[in-house]
Amino acid sequence: MEALDPSDQDLVNRTKAGDARAFDELVVRFSPRLYGLVYHMTASHEDTNDLLQDIFSKAYRSIKGFQGKSSFYTWMHTIAVNMAINFLKKRNRRRTMSLDDVDSGILNDPDFIEATSNGDPSHEANLGELQKKLNESLLKLSHEHRAVVTMFDIQGMPHAEIAKILKISEGTVRSRLFYAHRQLQNYLQEFIKK
Amino acid sequence: MDTEDSITKLLRLKRYEHPPEEYFENFLAEFQVRQRAEVIHRPFLSIAWDRFSSIFVMPPVPRLVMASSFAVAVLTSVFVLDWSDEETNPNSPRTSLNLAAADPVTIDSRQNDTKPAKPLSTVHYVLPARPATYASARSF
Repeated sequence: MEALDPSDQDLVNRTKAGDARAFDELVVRFSPRLYGLVYHMTASHEDTNDLLQDIFSKAYRSIKGFQGKSSFYTWMHTIAVNMAINFLKKRNRRRTMSLDDVDSGILNDPDFIEATSNGDPSHEANLGELQKKLNESLLKLSHEHRAVVTMFDIQGMPHAEIAKILKISEGTVRSRLFYAHRQLQNYLQEFIKK
Repeated sequence: MDTEDSITKLLRLKRYEHPPEEYFENFLAEFQVRQRAEVIHRPFLSIAWDRFSSIFVMPPVPRLVMASSFAVAVLTSVFVLDWSDEETNPNSPRTSLNLAAADPVTIDSRQNDTKPAKPLSTVHYVLPARPATYASARSF
């Protein structure tokens, strides 16, 4: 007989009742996704690690106030985005990148091949360059635009979900995306297929 | 639209960036250590408040209801305290204000009183300059 995984809400209820292991389960469930969100906004592994610890600590402290008006997923993402934006405001111009390794699977990705096959046939040589350029370009966007680009383009969230997380309208999400893409177009000119 | 699509495809390549495999296993352990440290190093007042508030386990009540009932409780207690102070202390500002607001006493109204009016002037006792004695004065 297959044991069903408890839902997020079950784990939240158990955490509220004082079961710390239930919250550990939520940490395991959400840390990869939230790591991605914060990492793509900060472009720093160390900053992401510190922030992620703070995000889960804050969530644990305030979980009694979570009333279930939105999903736990949305609630966690809202905490993460707000804390990341506040952190970036404080970090200001200190833009030291400490990037994660790129999975070798990228070398077979058709989009990567397409983006890097303009002149140099050696994709691996272009990999580092592309990664650096992508991260630098994202750091040039405002924090709010970067958050929207991260959630939509990198994490593949729908507009409606992003709007809920950021507590803005879907129209605002779309206009932020449009503006951010226009900026990125200038920075990533060399990798965009003509 | 093509350019938009190309940008989205490029950005999606960032999904291939990952932390080391063991990172997420260590992350939970690190989080647990940090949580314990937070509990140990929490200020005394914060712990005391948590224990105090855990005594009053209440059902979930909307914040507005909580706030308005708290406000009513505060106003009621202020009113009761103020009222009891007025009752017990005759020199309280409100009492003296009432006395001051009473009708002034006129000469006519004093004459109509059945009881004799007390003299307004206070009694003075004058001591003689020489000490009083019953002994006869002797002179040679």
